[in-house]
Amino acid sequence: MSSTPSESTTSGHDTGKPVGLSVNGHDLLFPPLPYDIHARADKATADKQLLDFVHVATYRKDVTRRQVTSAAFGEKHGDFRELGAAIKQHTLDHLDHYIEKFVDNATAAGVRVHFAQDAAQANAICLDIARRAGAKLCVKSKSMVTEETQLLPQLEAIGVETVETDLGEFILQLDHDAPSHIVTPMIHKNRQSVARAFERELGAPYTEDPQELTQIARAHLREKYRKADLGISGGNFLVAETGSVVICTNEGNGRFCTSAPRVHVAFVGIEKLVPTFEHLGVMLKLLARTSTGQPLTVYTHVMTGPRRAHEHGGPDEMHVILLDNGRTEILKPETREMLRCIRCGACLNACPVYRKVGGHSYGAVYSGPIGALITPMFRGLANYPDLPNASSLCGACYEACPVKINIPKYLIQLRAEMVSKRITKWSDRLVYRMWARSLGRSWTYRLGGWAQKLFFRWQARVAGTLELGDPYRSRGWLNDLPGPAGGWTSQRDMPTPPAKSFRQWWDEQNRP
Amino acid sequence: MSNISDTPASLGVDRQTFLKPVRQALGRISGQAVPAPPAVDPQLVRLASASEDVVSLFAQRAGEVGMTVCRIKSDELIRTVSELLEKVGAKRVAASVGSLPQAVSLNDSLRRKGVEVVDWRATPGFAEQYGLDAGITDVHAALAETGTLICSSDAGHSRGLSLVPPVHVAIVRQSDILPDMVDYWARLRGIPGRELPSSQAFITGPSKTADIEGILITGVHGPGQVFIVVVEGV
Ligand code: SF4
Repeated sequence: MSSTPSESTTSGHDTGKPVGLSVNGHDLLFPPLPYDIHARADKATADKQLLDFVHVATYRKDVTRRQVTSAAFGEKHGDFRELGAAIKQHTLDHLDHYIEKFVDNATAAGVRVHFAQDAAQANAICLDIARRAGAKLCVKSKSMVTEETQLLPQLEAIGVETVETDLGEFILQLDHDAPSHIVTPMIHKNRQSVARAFERELGAPYTEDPQELTQIARAHLREKYRKADLGISGGNFLVAETGSVVICTNEGNGRFCTSAPRVHVAFVGIEKLVPTFEHLGVMLKLLARTSTGQPLTVYTHVMTGPRRAHEHGGPDEMHVILLDNGRTEILKPETREMLRCIRCGACLNACPVYRKVGGHSYGAVYSGPIGALITPMFRGLANYPDLPNASSLCGACYEACPVKINIPKYLIQLRAEMVSKRITKWSDRLVYRMWARSLGRSWTYRLGGWAQKLFFRWQARVAGTLELGDPYRSRGWLNDLPGPAGGWTSQRDMPTPPAKSFRQWWDEQNRP
Repeated sequence: MSNISDTPASLGVDRQTFLKPVRQALGRISGQAVPAPPAVDPQLVRLASASEDVVSLFAQRAGEVGMTVCRIKSDELIRTVSELLEKVGAKRVAASVGSLPQAVSLNDSLRRKGVEVVDWRATPGFAEQYGLDAGITDVHAALAETGTLICSSDAGHSRGLSLVPPVHVAIVRQSDILPDMVDYWARLRGIPGRELPSSQAFITGPSKTADIEGILITGVHGPGQVFIVVVEGV
């Protein structure tokens, strides 16, 4: 997908959106609606390099996850996942209580907590904080929520230079690209594109050595930490009992962004709550091992309030913006389970569809199986009619998920809703209705089977592949079916039924 | 904790307005009782126990995540640290090792060896720390099961020394090592949030990234090298 950046740059300008460093990848995550998956998915599946990268990377991560979780948890793994699921489910079931507890305890620790019902409110709150603080330079660690609210262009519009500091996000920002995986955002990019971006945007000498590239970024971002007066982070967990915000990162940028600037703002969705530190511990043990195969992320940073009077270093002000933005819709009993997600990315790595089409094909902030589920919930089923179908329902995501979200079940639920709301195309509905009818009666089923057999065997005879011999075994092979069925035979041959069917065999066996 | 309370009302909504749709979705009313959260059975959750050789386990796991561990006796501490600093060529360092009896003599003997020991408290924030070659710290606890160092902020500990310099030397007393994270939470139980340190960093490895083609690189933003000196018998 190396050609995507320039393309998205153009479309970013075309749509007349405020143009800042970070908005050019905008259309990748916020395409025109309703979103049609086919153009991007076709392009992705035709892109050999993308396929190699994403497929190899996700496959490795998936294998690592299996090895590491079974080594660490052994027999207990099932019970661990049960407990992780139960903790999140309990918290969601009584979310009002835990939000209140969190707010009370965080406030007592000196945090200013803000409540945002939608993206616009969340951004307005943050802009207000930035203005009051007289912020000129903001360093930001990875946060899916700020992608969701599209905060960066707005900060830049009021003159606050905002720098992504997670290495992957930093590169994407420089290269006007957008993240394509919730844990490893630049999984789709190669080192050459990084080298070109650094040469072009930072004036660095061209090098393809990942070590040198990383050092270039380190030096550049150090200067930003020194000068930044505002730090923005997300939050992996909120602990109700203590009012703590927890972020899990590997690079250390999360600690810098929340410690170096005078003001820290954390954007957090309300589903991130857990009751106590003990519960946090269970989730931490699951998260890193499932996500990247580490025992813990390198830096698990537990922050409880701003710098205390006797401490040196740390922000003078700490703000938490609690965000709803459609989450209370999903909180209804029928769909509540979806909010357990701890964004570990395991379902993306396990998904045969994600591996083939990559993250940008999902046309939204959250990709992969969990994205296919929550994107239509957040942004309207009619706007994303392809996503519930972008799954083979193989169940690999469910099996990988540390909090046991039954993703296939909910995808089917969404498909049913699409039919009942007539979002599914009329032609599709017609085909399936006819299919249901013919399968519903014995004689139509037999007639259909007979007609199909005649047609296939005739085609095979024309193609000269029909084997003769045992009427129950010998078949023919088709390698070029007409119409839409051609998609199937473009990958493999289609066997024809033998001359006599199983039913005929059965009848002969059971003849008195 | 400056002037947050002076700032006018937030641009969002107030707490009750915010909670209304939450309660609606849950079918709950304000103040309705909540059953106890799921019990965290230590039998299940504990993955390492005190019956094991926790020092060896800690050393092994910390090594597995890429930190360099050595185990010494108390009287070897000063020599070990100065040799480590010499090995990485550190000329400017800062230390916060208040929990150790050797704190003062460590600084003195480093200075005698020609190492500049900077007082990181001289300026607020990280300003002093960007130019350091190494940060030397004790730890508030260490976890054997995951090979983790816990560094918290307080009057004697900056958030920065384990983060800003390219090398972190962590001094871990044997008695700092807890078998499992479960044991650390037990220690914090009942402490209200406002009395906790503002920052508790659980450190499990050197700063890492695999963002470029999945290739593992250390020392992205934080230290690329972490040396752990385990002091046995104390
Ligand atoms: S749905 Fe489950 S597997 Fe997927 S990201 Fe969320 S927690 Fe991980």
